[in-house]
Amino acid sequence: MTNDVIKEAVAKQQSGDRKLLADNTVLGKVMTFNIGDQVYGIEIQYVTEIISVQPITKVPHVPNYIKGIINVRSKVVPVVDIRLRFGKPEIPYNSRTCIITLSFNETSIGIIVDSVADVEDIRTSDISATPENKGVNSNEFIQYMIRSEENTTKLILDVAKLLDEQEN
Amino acid sequence: MAKIEPGMESMLDMYFFETNSLLEQLDEILLRTEQANAFETDDIKEIFRIMHTIKGSSAMMGFDNLSVLAHKAEDMFFVIRENPDVITDVSFVYDLVFQVSDSYKAQIEAIQNNSDGEYELSNFDELIDKLLKAKDKLSHEANGGAPASNDSPAASSDQPKVPAAEDGKVTVRVFFEDGCQMENLRAFLLINTIRDECSFLEYSPADVETNTESSKEIVDHGFLITFSCKDDKTYILKQIETALNVQSYEVISDGEAQEEEKKTEAPKAEIPPEPAANIQVEKPAAPAQPAQPAAAPAPAASSDSAVEKAQAAVAAVNQINQPNGSQKQSLISVNLAKLDALHDIVGEIITTESMVISNPDLEGLELESFSKAARDLKKLTGELQDTVMSIRMVPLAGVFQKMNRIVRDMRKKLGKDVEFVIEGEETEVDKSIVDNLQDPLMHLVRNCMDHGIEEDVNDRINAGKPAKGTLKLSAQNSSGEVIITVSDDGAGMDPEKLLAKARRQGILTKPENEYTEKEIQNLILLPGFSTNEQVTEFSGRGVGMDVVKANVEKCNGTITVESKKGVGTTFIIKIPLTLAIIDGMEITVGDIVFTVPISTIRESFKVEAEQIVYDTGGNEMIMIRGVCYPILRLHEKFLIENEVKSLEDGILLLVATDNKDICIFADKLIGEQQVVVKPFPKYLSRYNIKGEGLSGCTIMGDGSISLIIDTNNLVG
Repeated sequence: MTNDVIKEAVAKQQSGDRKLLADNTVLGKVMTFNIGDQVYGIEIQYVTEIISVQPITKVPHVPNYIKGIINVRSKVVPVVDIRLRFGKPEIPYNSRTCIITLSFNETSIGIIVDSVADVEDIRTSDISATPENKGVNSNEFIQYMIRSEENTTKLILDVAKLLDEQEN
Repeated sequence: MAKIEPGMESMLDMYFFETNSLLEQLDEILLRTEQANAFETDDIKEIFRIMHTIKGSSAMMGFDNLSVLAHKAEDMFFVIRENPDVITDVSFVYDLVFQVSDSYKAQIEAIQNNSDGEYELSNFDELIDKLLKAKDKLSHEANGGAPASNDSPAASSDQPKVPAAEDGKVTVRVFFEDGCQMENLRAFLLINTIRDECSFLEYSPADVETNTESSKEIVDHGFLITFSCKDDKTYILKQIETALNVQSYEVISDGEAQEEEKKTEAPKAEIPPEPAANIQVEKPAAPAQPAQPAAAPAPAASSDSAVEKAQAAVAAVNQINQPNGSQKQSLISVNLAKLDALHDIVGEIITTESMVISNPDLEGLELESFSKAARDLKKLTGELQDTVMSIRMVPLAGVFQKMNRIVRDMRKKLGKDVEFVIEGEETEVDKSIVDNLQDPLMHLVRNCMDHGIEEDVNDRINAGKPAKGTLKLSAQNSSGEVIITVSDDGAGMDPEKLLAKARRQGILTKPENEYTEKEIQNLILLPGFSTNEQVTEFSGRGVGMDVVKANVEKCNGTITVESKKGVGTTFIIKIPLTLAIIDGMEITVGDIVFTVPISTIRESFKVEAEQIVYDTGGNEMIMIRGVCYPILRLHEKFLIENEVKSLEDGILLLVATDNKDICIFADKLIGEQQVVVKPFPKYLSRYNIKGEGLSGCTIMGDGSISLIIDTNNLVG
């Protein structure tokens, strides 16, 4: 989703107008996954597939969060451990651990997540902006948040940033 | 905005291909003749022919502006062809024709880039005006009597009149196949083919190239050509007879017969030459042609379906029996995407072949027949791979020729006297490499012209160099690599200046005194580095060298700079010849499998402790046949945790690098395998993996990934 769409949705909710508040148009779908207790999401148009963890070939001289490369049906795809990328402690992989492969602008990566949760709709009424607390490493990759009925907040990843990040 | 006519899209690709190759041909002729500083008659004819073909095909595609432009250029060359001595200002003519060629390329690119079929038609008025002036000037110089252009007498209105036969002139009426369409252009092409052989040529309707309405006239009354030939009229008749889509022709008046008649003063000569002397000539390959009134073939709109059918059959037979038809078919143009797909499939087949032949299930089995079949299969897949590779191989000549053009333009603009030398242009490389090389080479050549060669000739003379600079572009094959060098004998690079500049740009990453000369020179390949003080038309924006580097790396190549102050600069590009498939030796270090290209391995061996020697720094070295080689431990180089630490337990491989041979230390040899090289994923390109000695990766038979070692970058 473009930033404009998100801004518009956020603006609608902050407007206080009852009519706009009730706007629950479906804007798209997200695939949600867990890292620790937090639920994250990725808009499904970026997701190519979900595969189980397989042996990863290490590549030397890359940051520790890049675990290496894997072979996904004759394509070589780099794998990033999202835990390490977000500065969380590494945990051993188990049967629920998954690799989600994403592609954006012809670049593709796989991300390792604790487990895949669900696919759900994004509604205008659920969207809210990311709080501006700088300094927290993981926030730079969050494009927006969605709230759901159970009052949980899901952080939607900014795939463009995740794939296009510059070395810093 | 204009739109490509529906039904023409399918021909568009062909048109682009044809026109582009014609333009390249044109550039080549121009560059060659410009060096010789004289137009040969053949060259002028050739240029004329090119302009003519472009004019015809552009008109057919509906690109009127291009057609008109070609027409004007053609007019100019018509004057030149008639009287080659008229060119007084050669360089002016060259500039003009180059401009025409450039305008064409720009327009074609504009059309090509617009996938939705809409495009802007550029206005070439200014250029056309220039051409017109040039033509008038030339024809004026030729002499007053010479015709100013090749404009034929105006077309007759409705009924084409048969021109009165004159001495030695032959009049022919040509009929095209029914329903072949665009008769006017076909007629025009026909005129085009015979023009060079004729000393006099007139045709009716005369406006075939511009007036589509004339098609109808040709269909109804035939196309009248009156010519007198230089040599042999039967040759021209033959040409007419074999031309594409010509159904039949009749000779209405024959020059020789006429002459004879004149000699005898027979009253017959007074008779209009219409029916009496008519000779109907059918194409030789038309046995099925039904008896047909000679002078009036059925018009296209004929309702007599039997005749139509018969004619269609004749047309088919004619096509097959066309003498030059079979030759044309020996070359086909193929969409590159299809070749890429084929290439990928071959890669997959080779991987799969390895999977089958070295399948773990077969381990320990004695399979005589299987091994034999496997060997045969391997041989065949090898041949398949070679063939597919060779299909994609094209010579570098095309790209090099383009550089020639750039040098020419810059030589003029910058006023530098530079000789451009090309070597090894026949070297063949993969098509995708050629495409990727064009931009980097262009940048390098521009750089050499702009910054390399001294601004002031006196600087050169003072330095003891010839006043004329030399820019050399060369290519050669060397052990599985293509080495392309661009070198100039100019001022070279000043390490001090480079370093100072890099300091200002803030791109230094370590203390200045730690930089070696080579490292300093290679600083210019970094993004945001440009030593030129001023931004010129050609270079100096600080983008360029890093783009060059990126482009070269795209085809898995490397680029280095060698420069000596006052002597010159050389850029060396090395690109693997075949991008995709190499013979590799698999070795393991820890749990990682590496592939070393077999072409770089000299030998592999076990080592005894006493063979190891240490230098003062404690670095390990080994003495083999009296030569001392440094030992590089791969597990240290790539920071891998492994079990094998002692040199005696592992294996050493003596490998070649650019500079010197070294020994690399690995845990274990696995075996030889043919592997398909895949580049590292784009996501990883920001890390310096290549610089650390890994050139790519490959998928092995069991689906796991192996990293390919690039020995040249292992030690850096």
